[in-house]
Amino acid sequence: MSTKHNGPATASTPPSTGAAGGEPAPHDSGDHLALPRTIDVRVLRQDAPGQESYWERHAVAWEPNMNVISVLQKIAAGARAQDGRQVAPVAWDCNCLEEVCGSCTMLINGRTRMACSALVDRLVEEHPDGIELRPMLKFPVVRDLVVDRRRLFRSLERVKAWVPVDGFYDHGAGPRISPEEQEDAYPLSTCMSCGCCLEACPQFTRIETVRRDGETEEAFEQRRTAAFDRGFIGAHAISQAVLFNGHPIGKLIADERMEAVTDQGGIQMCGNAQNCVAVCPKSIPLTRSIARAGRAATMWAIRKIFDR
Amino acid sequence: MTPNESSRSFFARNQFLIYRLFSLSGLIPVGAFLVVHLLTNASVLGGAASFQSRVDMIHGLGPLLVPVEWAFIFLPMLFHATVGFMIIGGGLPNVGSYPYVGNIRYTLQRATGMIAFAFIIWHVLQLHWMGEPLGGGRFDPHHATSSAAEVVAPLAISLLYAIGVLSTVFHFANGLWTQGITWGLWTSPQAMRRANYLSIAVGTLLAAAGLGAIGGLRGTDTAAARAVETRMDDQRRLLEGQPPSPLSGTPAPGRPVPGRDSGAEDAIDLRSGSDLVPLLIPEPAGAVAPTTGPAPLSGN
Ligand code: SF4
Ligand code: SF4
Ligand code: FES
Repeated sequence: MSTKHNGPATASTPPSTGAAGGEPAPHDSGDHLALPRTIDVRVLRQDAPGQESYWERHAVAWEPNMNVISVLQKIAAGARAQDGRQVAPVAWDCNCLEEVCGSCTMLINGRTRMACSALVDRLVEEHPDGIELRPMLKFPVVRDLVVDRRRLFRSLERVKAWVPVDGFYDHGAGPRISPEEQEDAYPLSTCMSCGCCLEACPQFTRIETVRRDGETEEAFEQRRTAAFDRGFIGAHAISQAVLFNGHPIGKLIADERMEAVTDQGGIQMCGNAQNCVAVCPKSIPLTRSIARAGRAATMWAIRKIFDR
Repeated sequence: MTPNESSRSFFARNQFLIYRLFSLSGLIPVGAFLVVHLLTNASVLGGAASFQSRVDMIHGLGPLLVPVEWAFIFLPMLFHATVGFMIIGGGLPNVGSYPYVGNIRYTLQRATGMIAFAFIIWHVLQLHWMGEPLGGGRFDPHHATSSAAEVVAPLAISLLYAIGVLSTVFHFANGLWTQGITWGLWTSPQAMRRANYLSIAVGTLLAAAGLGAIGGLRGTDTAAARAVETRMDDQRRLLEGQPPSPLSGTPAPGRPVPGRDSGAEDAIDLRSGSDLVPLLIPEPAGAVAPTTGPAPLSGN
């Protein structure tokens, strides 16, 4: 049934090691037809922020070319748990469905990744006993698999991850950027703010601020932002600071970015576990960015101490 | 910057500098001390005299030794450990979910840091005179090899030392690598890989030195080593114009040294240390007629 079935044509032939061009012999020894007709999906649900989470099982009928988003769509369509109970549809985030918007991050079989590019056949190959879906651990849960990634964007604000060109005057054409510089910068510009790097980072720990009774929205927001600003900015923000400090116009506020990168919760929080680079779906050279920012921070600190 | 600057704690305001100082202190002076310490200890492989002369050199600092120890070793180490524990407290290791090499190293760095901390406290109390009130302080700087050999003689103690030394060396060598990233010395993945070879080489060398010292002490004939040390101690006292130590059990010049007859010549190996040992050592028994103590001095 599988199109990438690569077993020996004659099932009676004993598997000869090495003769099949290095292809490992399939370990399910010929019973390909017994691929699961339904997939056991376990979802960690939570009805609202701050509430208890609970596991729920769903049986999803297998179809060719499924990804985790289509599994969730089927769960929503059925809205029935495996035991037949009618349940509220599982909530999740997604948008582009092609791994560029960064909204569908979740823990799939315990590992942070994009749901839209997580192919079911591949997952079942790795974990034949089903698929486990959980919301990210490092962000407050809004509902089910939907998390509040406000802190991720706050980090980008902290390091001013933009080119400052607002104004009324026509400044003419910008400076030229050499192809080498472009090649260096382009990978960093592909960051989609998915948060995988933060989820996997042992140094990035969850910050959840709960609104107090009688607290105004403004006061709560201020308190929440202050809490974020004490925490680690994360690999994505460090990489964006490097990207914009390397840009001829972005450079104009390089000092402000370095101030943020070396402020509380800045680059010094990185423990060089290098998980960020290992999980980044866009394969952004995050540890190179971190080391470059580390070098810039060294220079910045020397300047700050000796030039005043 | 943050609007309520003054309301933030000293630590919060200077977090970057404190963490960088923490990183630096791991290399200078703590790491540098570790290297010197392990290489000095490894000199025991060259014989008791060779180790003793190095220890004498360090103790030549005299009254300066204590302030130097505190300024360059104990205080920086305590600083490194304090900030280190804060960093460990702020992290959330996750090797279970992400078993990558870098992540395993991150976790090991923390584990070995804690092992090293516990080991160093134990080690200092056991050997350094500060541990005397607790029944430790067993290292005798005038009998460096023999007193240290007695400490590590039980196999269990040697094994604990091996674990402690290997943890400390891993922590240092791996720290060297992460430090280069932190300060921006190596930035590209290729450079990080090359730097990794460097840290592996440094780690291997230091591990060999550390384990070599333990092995060297275990292989030492304590009585023979004590004899060599006593002679060197007497010469030192002679040079400083002190009487020979009454407690050291100094054999009278010319009297056979205990252990000398039991084939201990190899263990003593005076030759390797001969450039460091002053020429005042009495000739081994049975060679030339013994001279009286101070005579060779006046001859010069
Ligand atoms: S290298 Fe730094 S930012 Fe990346 S995962 Fe490790 S600690 Fe986090
Ligand atoms: S750096 Fe990579 S993992 Fe991190 S937010 Fe950007 S795309 Fe996602
Ligand atoms: S839906 Fe856009 S990245 Fe998955």
